[in-house]
Amino acid sequence: MTERATQQNRWLALPGMIFFLLAYALLGLKQADWRGFVMAAAVPLIFFGVIVILPRILPADRILLSLVNFLSFLGILVLYRLNPERGFGQFTNYAVGMVGMVGCLLLVRFWHRFKWTMPLIILASLAFMALPLVMGTVKNGAKAWVSILGVNFQPSEVVKVSMLLVTSFLLSRRLVLPALAFAGVCLGMLFLQRDLGTALLYYAITLILVYVSTGSLTFLALGTLGAGAGALVGYQMNTYVQNRVKIWQNPWEDPYGISYQVVQSMVAMVNGGPWGTGLGLGTSSVIPEVETDFIFAAVFHEFGLIFGMCVILMFLLIFLRGVGIAKRSRSRFHTLLALGCSCFIAIQTFVIIGGNINLIPLTGVTLPFMSYGGTSMVCSLCIMGLLQGVANANERGLEEDQLIAMLGEDNA
Amino acid sequence: MKLIKKNLRLAVVVVCCLLASLIIYGAFSLGLSGNRWFSSSVNTALRKVKSDVLPGRIYDRNGIPLSGNDTQGNRLYHQDELTRRSLVHAVGMKDGTVKNGIETFMSYLLYAYDASYLSRLSSAFSGRMRSGYDLRLSLTHGLSRYIAEQFPQGKSGAVVVLNYRTGEILSLNSFPNFDPYAAQGVLSDPRKPFINNATQWRSAPGSTFKVITMAAALQHMPDALSKTFTCEGDYQVGDVVITDAGHVSHGELSLEKALVVSCNITFAKLALELGDEKLRQTAQAFGLDDHLLFSDLVVENSSYPAKNRIAKEVAWTGPGQSALGMTPLHMALVAAAIANDGVMMEPKLLLQAVDANREGKAQISPVIYKTPLTVAQSDILAKAMRQTVVSGTGRNAAVSGLTIAGKTGSAQIDGQELTNAWFIGFIEDKTLPYALCVVINDAGEGSRQAAPLAGKIFSYINSMR
Repeated sequence: MTERATQQNRWLALPGMIFFLLAYALLGLKQADWRGFVMAAAVPLIFFGVIVILPRILPADRILLSLVNFLSFLGILVLYRLNPERGFGQFTNYAVGMVGMVGCLLLVRFWHRFKWTMPLIILASLAFMALPLVMGTVKNGAKAWVSILGVNFQPSEVVKVSMLLVTSFLLSRRLVLPALAFAGVCLGMLFLQRDLGTALLYYAITLILVYVSTGSLTFLALGTLGAGAGALVGYQMNTYVQNRVKIWQNPWEDPYGISYQVVQSMVAMVNGGPWGTGLGLGTSSVIPEVETDFIFAAVFHEFGLIFGMCVILMFLLIFLRGVGIAKRSRSRFHTLLALGCSCFIAIQTFVIIGGNINLIPLTGVTLPFMSYGGTSMVCSLCIMGLLQGVANANERGLEEDQLIAMLGEDNA
Repeated sequence: MKLIKKNLRLAVVVVCCLLASLIIYGAFSLGLSGNRWFSSSVNTALRKVKSDVLPGRIYDRNGIPLSGNDTQGNRLYHQDELTRRSLVHAVGMKDGTVKNGIETFMSYLLYAYDASYLSRLSSAFSGRMRSGYDLRLSLTHGLSRYIAEQFPQGKSGAVVVLNYRTGEILSLNSFPNFDPYAAQGVLSDPRKPFINNATQWRSAPGSTFKVITMAAALQHMPDALSKTFTCEGDYQVGDVVITDAGHVSHGELSLEKALVVSCNITFAKLALELGDEKLRQTAQAFGLDDHLLFSDLVVENSSYPAKNRIAKEVAWTGPGQSALGMTPLHMALVAAAIANDGVMMEPKLLLQAVDANREGKAQISPVIYKTPLTVAQSDILAKAMRQTVVSGTGRNAAVSGLTIAGKTGSAQIDGQELTNAWFIGFIEDKTLPYALCVVINDAGEGSRQAAPLAGKIFSYINSMR
């Protein structure tokens, strides 16, 4: 890493620091809570540390890091405003997630030393997927939760990370059938757990990665048809899905009953107007599950339409930045991994925000980096860690190129 | 590697489109229906706004105040009781007793929800209550009162009068009505006076629907005008016999003549000959089955019956019976489209909104809703409707000195002794571009009950100019 590269984009931290300083101070005043002022001092410092100092120690893409951290702290801010305890809980999740992110970065960076773990990762993933079927608890129609040693978590979220590694790894060695078999087993178990939102994400990512690695349009067409057929079967078999579709078609048919949640979300957004009600002045806590599934509606409500659209744009920028990393990478594995990570976050964002604004039927997936939830937060940051690992490897590759150019191929 | 990077593009474009669609759809749906969501009773935040802001005043098109506030912040309405009653459904009440009246549906403007931070801040510091925007509506209180006065006592029904060139609504009456100053017990009244029958009540429109059946014939049957139909007095379809009022037999007649005498048998035959699908197509061109998202008022969607029906039901749709559901407002729009060279204007109630400094906040211009007919088709229909008033079932709506076109209807409703009397019509005059729809429930024939009232309304409009 040259000195110049670590100097790049340092100023990106500044707007975020000012934003969070003001926002937490405002909430501290409004709620008369000293912890708000502690946060007002602490968050900008952590923001500075993560965006300016961390990449100096461990080369990473600073733009990506800034966007992800801004969204994470925005989530913590809104959660703190809705329910201070949950805000602090989410802060802990974020801290764990950042450790996971660094871990994933190092894993990809030193992949050549960890290659031998792949069979273990595959076996562990499959075992994890099966866990909820053995000892799961039902929540919101999906049997996706597991409790081990007092820690509640969603195995399907954890497997998201390993699934990206496994699929990219197998496809980079042109092992298409094993990759499909792996995805098939995972999907089967997700269907049994009725975690259809996550199943949709797994399916889409596998489809994209297989298409990109093989270039087979036939496969893409078949896969899309298969998704349609799967959706139809899911619709026919599951009254829960039928209800969701009914709400989507006309949420105003039963605004106090089954569609209460979606209608309240829509009303909260329009109450926000273009500039929002103002932080701390909103009433979005009337939306059920506002802290998990409807966090976007809460942001929209208090910060307004324009800010809400900017949040979507930030997710779009994260995606495009990830694609840039994929394009610059130097091996099939890295390209597929970086693309998979970017697409996963982007499609997950589409599915849940689309549900919030009633563009598509609501499915219970979380909004990456922002929804309340330990597993989701940690795993989203881990996926970003994988992406940063590829970015780090790209930088290293660039250094080698420069060295070769300087010394000539033989001496390098 | 190269292959992979080439294939990337498609995936990237698709995912970018997904995220972009969130932004586009989000902004679009908020712009289109935001007002509806905001003013809905589900919106709990609105209650807080209502306690913080003094609602704006409401005026009729000539600047006569319809709603205002006294010094204690109570809502005041027009001083005359009959005027208050005649306007209660269109204007609504602050507490939402009448759903979707201007008082609640336009709360976005009445409570100045889009006011800038600056004005919010200044009112927060000065301690003065903010006031909302004043609204000027297209209604005329005089015509509303006249209609309420002339409508048969004790009957339920609705009257809609609008300008067919601009879509501006002059009067939107629903019966039974009530006095907003004496609204206790209204919600538990079995006659449901709080429902706006002009916009929220749907029913089969009887023979007034024949204009749509005739439009379908003009559009899908090239020889419709030269054809001769035969009416034998009764016509068997499946296990039902279609007859005409008074069991008359009209003999051989043209399409225009069939409309003028309102021949059920001809229109039943037409419906069968056209087929359900063609008739549905034309009906949908007039806005049936459409989501009516008008910017100024909430109207129940009108519906054409479901697909795959047996022949007798299709046959009865031609003369406007069967499972058709249309609001009086929508039938008024049908008449207006025929009057306006086939162009249906979106109905409008709001002319202007101004803030406390008389600065304009909203100014509504005419909007085309649909174009169901060509000019030639609308001319043919208008001529037949004119003939209906000159020599047919609509004679009672004639006004000397005015060219009136119209169509009567008598809709049979299960469990009702008398038919619902309908009349749709319009004045053919550049200076008086007004169309109307009159419905008097459980009253008898449209020609005897609804047409005379329409005639009175037309001559009142004539005397206003």
